[in-house]
Amino acid sequence: MADNLTAGRDFDFHGHALDNIFDTYKELRNRCPVSRSEEHGGFWFLVKSEDIFAAEQSPDTFSVTPSMLLPPFGTDVPLIPIDIDPPEHAHYRRVLLPLFTPQAVAKLDEGMHRTARELATEVAAHDVVDVSARFARPMPTIIFSRLAGFPEADWPKFDRWVDDIIYERTIDPERAWKAGQEVMDYFDALLKARAEQQDAGDIISRLLSAEINGRKLTHDELLSYCYLLFVAGLDTTAWAIRSSLWYLAQNPDAQARLREDPDLIPTAAEEFLRTLSPVQAMARTCKKDTEVSGQRIRAGDRVVLVFGAGNRDPDVYEHPDEIVVDRENNRHLAFGGGIHRCLGSNLGRRELVIALEEFLRAVGNFSLDNLSEQWHGVGPLTLRIGR
Amino acid sequence: MYQITVDPARCQGHARCLTFAPDVFEFDDEGYSFVPDENSRYAQLTEGVRLAVANCPERAILVKDDQRT
Repeated sequence: MADNLTAGRDFDFHGHALDNIFDTYKELRNRCPVSRSEEHGGFWFLVKSEDIFAAEQSPDTFSVTPSMLLPPFGTDVPLIPIDIDPPEHAHYRRVLLPLFTPQAVAKLDEGMHRTARELATEVAAHDVVDVSARFARPMPTIIFSRLAGFPEADWPKFDRWVDDIIYERTIDPERAWKAGQEVMDYFDALLKARAEQQDAGDIISRLLSAEINGRKLTHDELLSYCYLLFVAGLDTTAWAIRSSLWYLAQNPDAQARLREDPDLIPTAAEEFLRTLSPVQAMARTCKKDTEVSGQRIRAGDRVVLVFGAGNRDPDVYEHPDEIVVDRENNRHLAFGGGIHRCLGSNLGRRELVIALEEFLRAVGNFSLDNLSEQWHGVGPLTLRIGR
Repeated sequence: MYQITVDPARCQGHARCLTFAPDVFEFDDEGYSFVPDENSRYAQLTEGVRLAVANCPERAILVKDDQRT
C-alpha cells in the first residue's frame, strides 16, 4: 500500500494527539505531503505550507461546507462567516470587518493594557499560581466580552462552555452538543433582550442594525454570528497567551531577553504563533476532483489544512522547529489565509503582545511548577513565581 | 525607482505590512491595505518594505523596479 495511505492513518489534531504532534508532523512531512487519516470519518490532510496556501486561495475547489470544524463545534448550524462559501461569504464578512481593522483595534489598546496589568499584578502576588485560570483565560474573555456586549454577570459560565464545545467534543461529543445548545439558548435570550435596547456601541448592536443586500439579518443569522464570535473570540487568544508563557517559563534566556528589550515582544509573539499555533488545522470539502502534490483527491472528500505543520515546513523556515524570538522572515499560517483569514487576527495579535508586555513587566522570573503540563489547549499552567 | 503596490485581489487584511512599514501602507475602512500614490515610489528599498514583503501571508505586496522594465 502506498506510504501516504498508511503513515498517517490514525492522524488526529485534537486532545492527546497534540502532545507530540510536532514529531508527528516531522515524520509525515518527510514521507508524504498529503496523507489519509481514517479519524473523524476519514480525511486527506496537507502538511506543506505551499499546498495549504494554494488550497486557501482556491475556495471554489476547497469549500468550507458543511463546516470548517472537524468534528463540529457542538452544533450543525453553519457558522457565519467561516462555514459560508462565496459569493454569500463576502456579504456576511463585510458586516464584521470594520470592527476588527487595525484602526478599530488600536482604540482598544488602553483598555487591554489596563485589564492585562490588573490580572498580571494579581498573579505576581502568588508564589505558585495557575496562570491559565488567572491570566491567559480571563484577559481575552474580559476584553472580547466587553467588545461584543456579552454581559459581565454571564462571564463565569463561559469557560465551561468553551471547554465542553472545543475540548470535550472529541472525547464526549454529547457533552459538546449539550453545551452548544446552552450557548444557542443563551444567545437566543440575549438577542431578544437586546432587540429592544438602544445602540450600545458593541458588536451585538452592530449586528442588530446590519444589513446585507438591503435586508436586516434574520434571528438565525444573528445567532450563528454570536455563536461563532463566542467560540472564536475567547479560546484561541487564551491558548496563544498560555502557550507563549509555557515556552517562556522553560526558557529563562528568552524571558530575560524580552524583559530587557520589550520592543522585541511583537516579533517574538509571531514566532509563538507560528510554532505553537492555537488553530493547528481546519477542514475543507473538495468540490471537484483535484490533485495536490501528486495525490488525487475526489469531489466530496474532506481535506484538512494542517497549519501547524505548514508553519514548521523546512522548505519555508530555517530551523523550523526552533523557536527563534527574533525571527525576521515569518510568513506563517497561524491565522489562515485567503478569504477566510481569521477576522479577529488584528485583535488577537494585540491581545497577545499586550498580555506578554504586562505579564513580563509585573511578574518576576517564572518557571514551570508542573513539568507534565502540555504546550497546548487552555488547561492549567502552574507557574512558580520568583521575586 | 521602485514602485510599491498592494494587489487588492490578494490582500486579506492581515496588516503585517503596518508593523514593518507604517509610513508606506494605509488601510481602508474594512482593513485592506493600500499604498497611497504619494507613498509609492522610492529610490531605495527600505528594510521595512523588505520585511513587509517577506512577512505578507498573502504575498500581496508588489515591488516593481522601473529601471529593469
